[in-house]
This record gives sequence, structure tokens and C-alpha cells, in this order.
Amino acid sequence: MQNSNGMIDDGASKQGRSSVFIVSARKRKLQKISQKSGEATLFLIASFVAIIVLFIFWFVARDAVPFFDSLHTFREFFTSSEWYPADDPPRFGALAIIYGSLMITVGSALIAVPMGILASICLSDILPFNVRQYVKPVIEMLAAIPSVAYGFFALVVFAPLLQNSGGPILMWAWWLIATPFLLLMVIVASELLTTSIAKGAMKKTAHLGLILILGALALLLLYFVGNHLQGLMIMSGTNALNVSIILSFMALPTIVSVSEDALQAVGRDLREGSYALGATRAETIIKTVLPAASSGILAAVILGIMRALGETMVVWMASGNSSHIPDPWFNYLESVRTLTATIAGDMGEADQVTGSARFHVLFAMGLILLIVSFVSNLISERIVVRQRKVLSGQ
Amino acid sequence: MNLGTRKLLDRSFTALGIGSIVIMGLALLVVLAPIVSKGVGALVFRETIEHRKLLSTEFHRGDGRELEKEIALSNGYRQKAFDMLAVFDQELEQMTPERQEQYRESYDQVKTALRGLLGPLPGDTDPELARNRYGQTRWDKAEEKLRELLYEQKWDYSNPDVIAKPYDVSRAPGFAGTSLVRLFPYVEQNLDKMLLPEWTFYWGFITDSSIDAHFFGGIWPEIQGTLFLAIGAMLFAFPLGVIAAVYFTEYARDGFLTSMLRSANSTLAGVPSIVFGLFGLAFFINTLHVSESKSVLAGSLTLAIMILPTIIRASEEAILSVPKTYKEASLGLGSTKWNTIMTVILPAALPGILTGGVISLGRAAGETAPIIFTAAVSVGTAIGLGDVLSSPTPALSWNIYNLASEHEAAAQIRHVQYGMVLALVTVVLLLNLSAVILRARISKKLKG
Repeated sequence: MQNSNGMIDDGASKQGRSSVFIVSARKRKLQKISQKSGEATLFLIASFVAIIVLFIFWFVARDAVPFFDSLHTFREFFTSSEWYPADDPPRFGALAIIYGSLMITVGSALIAVPMGILASICLSDILPFNVRQYVKPVIEMLAAIPSVAYGFFALVVFAPLLQNSGGPILMWAWWLIATPFLLLMVIVASELLTTSIAKGAMKKTAHLGLILILGALALLLLYFVGNHLQGLMIMSGTNALNVSIILSFMALPTIVSVSEDALQAVGRDLREGSYALGATRAETIIKTVLPAASSGILAAVILGIMRALGETMVVWMASGNSSHIPDPWFNYLESVRTLTATIAGDMGEADQVTGSARFHVLFAMGLILLIVSFVSNLISERIVVRQRKVLSGQ
Repeated sequence: MNLGTRKLLDRSFTALGIGSIVIMGLALLVVLAPIVSKGVGALVFRETIEHRKLLSTEFHRGDGRELEKEIALSNGYRQKAFDMLAVFDQELEQMTPERQEQYRESYDQVKTALRGLLGPLPGDTDPELARNRYGQTRWDKAEEKLRELLYEQKWDYSNPDVIAKPYDVSRAPGFAGTSLVRLFPYVEQNLDKMLLPEWTFYWGFITDSSIDAHFFGGIWPEIQGTLFLAIGAMLFAFPLGVIAAVYFTEYARDGFLTSMLRSANSTLAGVPSIVFGLFGLAFFINTLHVSESKSVLAGSLTLAIMILPTIIRASEEAILSVPKTYKEASLGLGSTKWNTIMTVILPAALPGILTGGVISLGRAAGETAPIIFTAAVSVGTAIGLGDVLSSPTPALSWNIYNLASEHEAAAQIRHVQYGMVLALVTVVLLLNLSAVILRARISKKLKG
């Protein structure tokens, strides 16, 4: 405003202004100071968050460092799975616990990632707007239910169910999921295999024959795997499978909402270009939209996985809390123990104030969780920022 | 590929997407259905006369004269059962030691089951624990106990390939030829007259304290503790969060410092909840010594840190969604930036900010891990408002865990656990529902 009139020299413009706004120079100065100091106060309060983050790192690390006082404990922590904190001398081998955390994280990701991506595609591209309005609250409710309520469900409802009739449940799930998939695969595979044959009666018979042969193979697969699943003995319902399923539903809302944002950010022009070239909706989504949104979806997956890794109550209540590596290593029907559950469960017995080794080892576990979550957060943030730049650049 | 297959693939892709959304909806139903249906059972159930006795002695509630009449009525039927026991006791004395030995164990089991059903038998010393002073207070539990009286559970180990299965054996044939045989059909037929069940709505479940580690009574201390913790967390986090959001949206210039602050915010949002608990223990209690040990104050502070990023983000969004014209009009009229924020922008953004606040309140109420080391105790009475600075409190989320996983008789008090879960879920979902309604109103208003 003051420089809008370039003709008048500085002094004159100052004089002119003070005659327009009847405010003395001193008062203006005061106003400016108060404004600056107000802004500084706001900045201080806003930077409070950063201070807290620093403090969290500092205080968790401060209590974690005494545990790693020698190379021996460090090596034992990461390589041994002998977790006997109450023995004399105590043994703090956390390998099985770290593995347990990894196992349930991978397990829940296996369920939540495909489902979450499919659901977010459905929300952004398939469902009409008025249906979407009813789906969103469902997802929000899934996210809002407290973790201890999920844990209670896993322990009191789901675990006995899994223990008493886990075999048949798994068999039905296998049949329900695998039948349509295999049917589709048979049809598509038999068509792809016969494309090279020239047109005519020969192609038709080959096609039909292939469908029959592959169909029979698929049925056999369905039957044998289903039979095997039905015959499984589940010794305890509080196991890695139970926890993975429940955690996947807790991670789903995060994955769905973040990746839906990523899909929405892909413009209409890309979709319309693909449709104009004659692609179906599925082809458009898989070949055009998903690649364009891939980094955002990756960020969503990272955030969802972090939710599963950092979850405490469900795993504490329903994972069985046995510190050993399942045999074989992919056996999801055995009980496991995770970092979060160990921290929550052992703190009561660890000496809270004076700080024994048992107390510090729990902070070491907390530090691991903190670092993993920090790194994955940074990565996902970078990814989102870069995607925004790429999309706006186009 | 020919067109038919491509269309088929397209359809099945759509079906997959819709299928996964349907599964999510079903999962929500499957989780909520048992919680709601059995949780209601903590409030609405068939109470027996034992429950009315309990309410009268422990809470001085109910019509005393009516109750005395009922007690007299039920005692008439109980006396006959007790007489049968007395007759059998005499028979036992006249038996040879070997035969006595033969009956001893199962007779003790019968007596224990009868005690569980009706309360102390005549001649028993007054039990110390409240759970043993009364019989079954709920008719559904009484029916379970009746099964225990009538049948003995045995385990079938005959097939080594299958996990052993339980099966029931009737107790009556074991006492064939003695007078006790008559007891079993008598109790089975007259149990409703001994216990006089009636449908009731036990509102005391919400307002009463618990008796004998949640065997009887209500969950008021837990509800109150949850309210204290959640509201306390909001008191700290809400003003801080809103001010930080104002800074980020109105004052912060794009630059290194601002982007650092922003990524600090998202880092804080991603920290696992149990690590907040560790931090609260290490910082608020062991370093700052805000209280000697666990306290509501320490728990609230920890929860406040946890919900701060959510509040900041929601407030930022709310402020950004205020139309630019509002701000320009205010500045154009000559008001200062601060004035514009206080009188134009914040009032317009308030519903959105409140929405974020309400959702965060729900999150603070439902979260367990941060309060394990900082605020929660398993058993306790409701604390007064003056004690929040120094004393820990029971809280819904923590006590659900504690009752379900660590209580010595967790299987016997399932109804209390379900009731607690229902209370917590109701609070959280109601808060979220009000947020949804608020948001719908805002979008209507902004559309005009």
C-alpha cells in the first residue's frame, strides 16, 4: 500500500500515511512490537509439538541406553530367543519377540492391504456418491472402536470360536474365497492359451478341453486344501492368526482413507483418456489409475502397517504371549508375543523407579518401535509430497 | 482376449471391490453384535431374590417389607432341600467308614454347588468374601449352576488324535439307594420358587460402585475415571492444538522451519500408543514428578500429547475450509489480522474444530496403552475431583483388559465385562456420531 504511489519520495509518503491513519508513530511501533511478540508466542506454542517429539526420543532413549551397556547384551538381545527376565542372571533374548511382532504385522498386512486397496478403489471409482455416504461412516466406526474392545472381542468371542471350530471355519473361508478366483483363472487361462490357435472348430474344442482339464485341477486343489484346513488342530485360539485377522480390520480404515485420497488425486483426464481408448473400468483402474496413485497407496500401506505394529491391547490380550518362534516359522496357529505386549505386560514386574535391567530392556523395545515408526513415517511423508509434486506438475 | 472375457474380468473386479467393502461392514456387525447383545444383559436381566437381598444390604435400596415376604416364601422351599441334606448327614453317620468315603467327595461337590446356587447353607460360618455371601443373583447364571449341581463334568480322552471333549454325567445315580437322590429332582423343579426370578432394569450398573472385585455392583468408578482422563486430556490438548493450528494456517511462512514442525506433527501422530505410555512414565512421573506415582494428572498429560496431532490437523482443516472472502471482507473493513482471526475466522471454523475435538475426546477415552503406566489401577473406588492431581483411578478401557485377562474369576463375570465394553463403545461411538452430525451441518452451511 505504501509503495503503490512510486512518484512520491519516502518522506512524503510517510507523512501522507500518518495523516490518513490517525495513529502516532509511537503507537504504530507499539502495535508492531505486540504483533511480533504475539506471533512469536504462537510460534512457540506451535513448536511445542516438535519439542515433545524431541523429548519423547530423548527420554525413551535415555532409559534404553543403560540396557545396551555391553556388546554381550546387545548381541543377546537381537540373536537369542531366550526371554527369562526373572532368572538370575536374567536373560533378555528378544529375537522371538521381534519375530512375533514381524509375524503379526505381515499377517495383518496380507489381509488388510489387498482388501484396503480394493475397498478404496470401490469408494473412489465404482460406488455412486449416495452409496458412498453410507459406507464412510462404517469405515469411521471401524476406526473409532477402541482397541481394547477389539482385544476383548478377540479374546472372549473369536478365540474360543477358533479353538473349537477353527478347522471348518478356515475351510469355509478357503472355499468362499478360492472358488471364484480359481473359476476366473480357469476361464482366463484357457482363453489365453488358445489365442495362438487359428480360428475354427479346432480352437473351440481345445478351449473346451482346457477348461475341463484346468477346472478338474482347480477342483482337486480346492478339495485337498479345504480338507487339510478342516483337519487342522488348533491347540489355542489365542494365536497369531486370531490377532492378525483382528489387527487387519483395525488397519483397514487407515489404508482405505489414505489410499482413497491418493486415488482421488489422480485427475479425471487420465481416466477419460483410458476410457476413450476403449479400456474397461477394471483395465483403466489397474493400468492407469493405480500406477499414477501408486506412491500414495504405498504411503497408505506403510501407515496401515504401522498401526498394526504399534497396536498393544489386541496382541496383549489375544496373541497368547508365548515367547518362542513358531515351528515351522510360518505357523500362524501358534501363540506369539510382540514387542508392544511385552512392554505392557512386563512393566508391572519391572522395578519402575530405580531402574533395573528389566526396566531398561522395555525402553529398548520402545526405542525400536519409536525408530521404526519414525522412519516409516518419514518415508510415507516423502512419498506423499513427491506424488503431489508429480501430479501437479502434470 | 475377447470382449466377453474382458467384460467378465471387469465385472469380477467390481465384485471384488464391493465384496471387500461388504466384508468390512460384516466385520463391524460381527464385532458389535455380541458386545451390544450381551452388554445389554448387564443392565437388563432376570434378577433373583439374592440380587434383591444384595441391593438391600449393600446399597439400602428396594422395599424392605416386600423383600421380607419374598425371603419367607423362598425359605419355605429352601428348607425342604436343607432338610434333605440333614437327613443324608444322619444316614452318613450310620454308614461304615468305607461307604462314607465313597460318598464324601461327591457329597462335598453337591454341597458346594448348592452353596453357589443359594448362598451359605445352614450351619456354615459367615463367609468373608461378598461373592460367597449370596447365591446366584442372575437367573441365567443360576441355570448354569443348576447344571453343575445335577451333572458332573468329565473329560473324554478316549481318542488321542482329538482334543479331549467334556461330557456330563448325572450325579443322581451316584447316590442311588440313599435319601439324597430326592434332592436333585426337587431342586430342579423348585429352583424358580427358591430364587423368585424377575425381569429388571438394573440402572445401578452405571451408577453403583463395584463390590468384591466386580462380582456385584456397577462400574461407576470406571466411568468416572474415563471421563476425568479424557476431559483432562482435552483441557491440555484443545487450546494448544487450536493455537498451533492458527499459527500453521495464518502465520507460518513456507520454509524449512515450518516443514520441520509439520513433520514433527505427523511423527507424533505415528508414535505407537505404548511408547506414549513409556514416555509418560519416564518424563511426567520419573522426571517431572507431577505426582508420586500414577495419577489422573499424569495420565491426562500423556493422553493430551497423544491426541494433540489429531486436534491440530482437524483444526487446520476447519480453518482452511473457511471461505477466503470472509477473511478478505474483514481485512478490507480495516480490522487487524488478530482481530480477523478472533472474530471472523475462528467462529466460522468453530464447528469444524469442535468436530475434531469430539473425535479426539473419543480417542482419549478409548485408549488403554498410554494410561497403563501413568494412571490406571485395577480396583478402586471413585475418586473425588480434588484427588485428580495425586491419585490413580480405575478406567473403563484398563478394567476391561484387567477383568477379561487378569481377574481370578474372569469367566464368572463375563456379563460385567460385556457391560463395560458396551459402555465404552457407546461413549466413543456416540461422540463420533455427534461429530458426523456436526460435520453434515457444516457442509450444509458452507454450501449455503
